Amino acid sequence: MFDLLFQFLANTGYYLADYRNYIMLVVGCVFLYLGTAKKYEPLLLVPIGFGILVGNIPFFKGFGIGIYEPNSVLHYLYFGVTTGVYPSIVFMGLGAMTDFSSLLAQPKLMLLGAAAQMGIYFTLLGALFFGFAPKEAASIAIIGGADGPTSIFLTAKLAPHLIGPIAIAAYSYMALIPVIQPPIMRLLTTKKERLIKMPPARAVSKKELLIFPIAGVLLCCFLAPTALPLLGMLFLGNFLKECGVVNRLANTAQSAIIDTATIFLGFTVGCSTQADVFLTPKSLGIFFLGAVAFSIATASGLIFAKIMNLFLKDKINPLLGAAGVSAVPGSAREVHLMGLKEDPTNFLLMHGMACNSSGVIGSAICAGILWSFFI
Amino acid sequence: MFGLENITNHNGWAIAAVGASIVFMGLVVLCLVISQIHRLLNLWEDREKVISRFKQKPAAVKPQETAEMVYGDQRLPSVEQLIEAYKPLIEKLEEPFKLSQVFEIANENDMPHPHLSIQRLQEADVLVAQGDGTFTWNEFK
Repeated sequence: MFDLLFQFLANTGYYLADYRNYIMLVVGCVFLYLGTAKKYEPLLLVPIGFGILVGNIPFFKGFGIGIYEPNSVLHYLYFGVTTGVYPSIVFMGLGAMTDFSSLLAQPKLMLLGAAAQMGIYFTLLGALFFGFAPKEAASIAIIGGADGPTSIFLTAKLAPHLIGPIAIAAYSYMALIPVIQPPIMRLLTTKKERLIKMPPARAVSKKELLIFPIAGVLLCCFLAPTALPLLGMLFLGNFLKECGVVNRLANTAQSAIIDTATIFLGFTVGCSTQADVFLTPKSLGIFFLGAVAFSIATASGLIFAKIMNLFLKDKINPLLGAAGVSAVPGSAREVHLMGLKEDPTNFLLMHGMACNSSGVIGSAICAGILWSFFI
Repeated sequence: MFGLENITNHNGWAIAAVGASIVFMGLVVLCLVISQIHRLLNLWEDREKVISRFKQKPAAVKPQETAEMVYGDQRLPSVEQLIEAYKPLIEKLEEPFKLSQVFEIANENDMPHPHLSIQRLQEADVLVAQGDGTFTWNEFK
C-alpha cells in the first residue's frame, strides 16, 4: 500500500518540479497580473499567462500529456500554431474588425508603416551578429513588427523550436507598449513637433472601402506571394466587412472566430513555454533582441516622419511614426495619449490607426519576404 | 560564428537591404494606388459627363473655330485680292457711292462675305469716307 502511495507521490508535480518550473509559474502569474490588474493587452496575456501555468506543471513524461508529446490533446491544439493556422484565422478576424478609412483618407501615412518595418531588418543583422542561425535570426527579427500572429506564423515556418520564446517576447512587448514607446517618442521629438495638429481626414466613400481589400490583396500578394496566408485572410476579412452583404460572416469573423483562435493561440503558446524548453540562454538573447527590434521599429517610424516633414507642405505629427509598428491598437492609443498630454485638443487616434493598419500590412509583407528568402 | 563575419557569411547585408527595399516599394505602390482610388471613382461616376464632354467638344468648338477662321484673317482673302475682286464692281458705280450700293453689287456677283470684305477695304483705306455717308475708291491702293 505504501509502495503504491509512494509511486503515486513520485508521479505528482510536487515531486517532479524543479526550480525552472517555479520560475515559469511566477512568469505566468506576472502575465495574469499584468493582464487582469493592469489591463495590459488582457485578451492576449490572460490566455498566455494561464497557458504558462498549465504548460509548466511538471508531469511524468511518456503519458501523452505535454504539448510536445505526440497524441496529447495540447499537441493537437498546438497544431494550429505550428502550421500557422491560428495566425491566419486571427488575421481574418483582424481584417473584419479593421476600418481602413483613416488610411484611405491619408495614404501618405502608409509610409510610416513601411518605415517602422526597418526595425525588423536591423534586428536581423543584430541576431546574425550575435551568432543566431539565419532562420532563427529572421524569426527573432520579425518581433520588430510588433505583431504576435505574424511572429508566430513566421517562426512556425522557419524556426518552430523557438515559437515559445518568440511568441512570448512579441506579446510581452506588445503589452508593454505603454512602457517602451513613450520614452523613445519623447527622446526623438521636440515639444513643438508633438504639438503639430493633423487636419481632419476626408470622408471616404463606401466604394473606396470596398475596392481597397481587392487592390491590397492583389498588389501585396503579387509582390510577396508568401504573405498570402496572412494578407489573403486579412483582406478577406475586410472585404466581408465592407461588402455589406455577408454581415453574418463578418460578425462571426470579428467575434466568435477571432476569439476562438485567440484563446487557443494564446493558451497553446503559453503551454509551449515548458521550463526545460523555454529557459535557455537563447531565450534570453531573444528577449534582448526583441526589445531592440521593438525600440528600433518605433524609432525608425519617428525618424522617418521627421524626414517626411522636411518635404511636406502640411507637416505630420512625428509621433505618428511610432504607430507604424503593427501593435493594433496599442501603439495608436499611446500616440494619441501622448498627443493629448501635450495638447488636450490634439486628437491623433484615427491618424495613428492609419499608421497601425499599414504596419500590419507591412509586417505581413516582411514575414512573407523573410520566409521566401529562407525557404 | 559571431559578429560581422556571420552577417557576411549568411548574406545578411543583402537580405536586409533587399527586404527593406521590397517592403518599402510595396507599400509605396499601395499608397499611390489607394491615393488615386477616389479620383478614379469620381471619374467613373461622372463618366457620362466626361464622355459627353469629349463628344461635344469637337461639335461645339469646331464651328466656333471655323467661324473665327472664316471671319478672321485666314479664310478671308487678302486686301490685295479684295481690291482685285472689288475694283471691277466699284467701277460700275458712280463715285461717291454708299456702302449699301457696294454690298448690293457684291451680293449680285456672289462675292463671299461681303460685309467683312467691305469692312476690311474700309479699314485698309481703300474705301475712303467722304464724311457725308458716301465713299470713294482710293486709286493709290
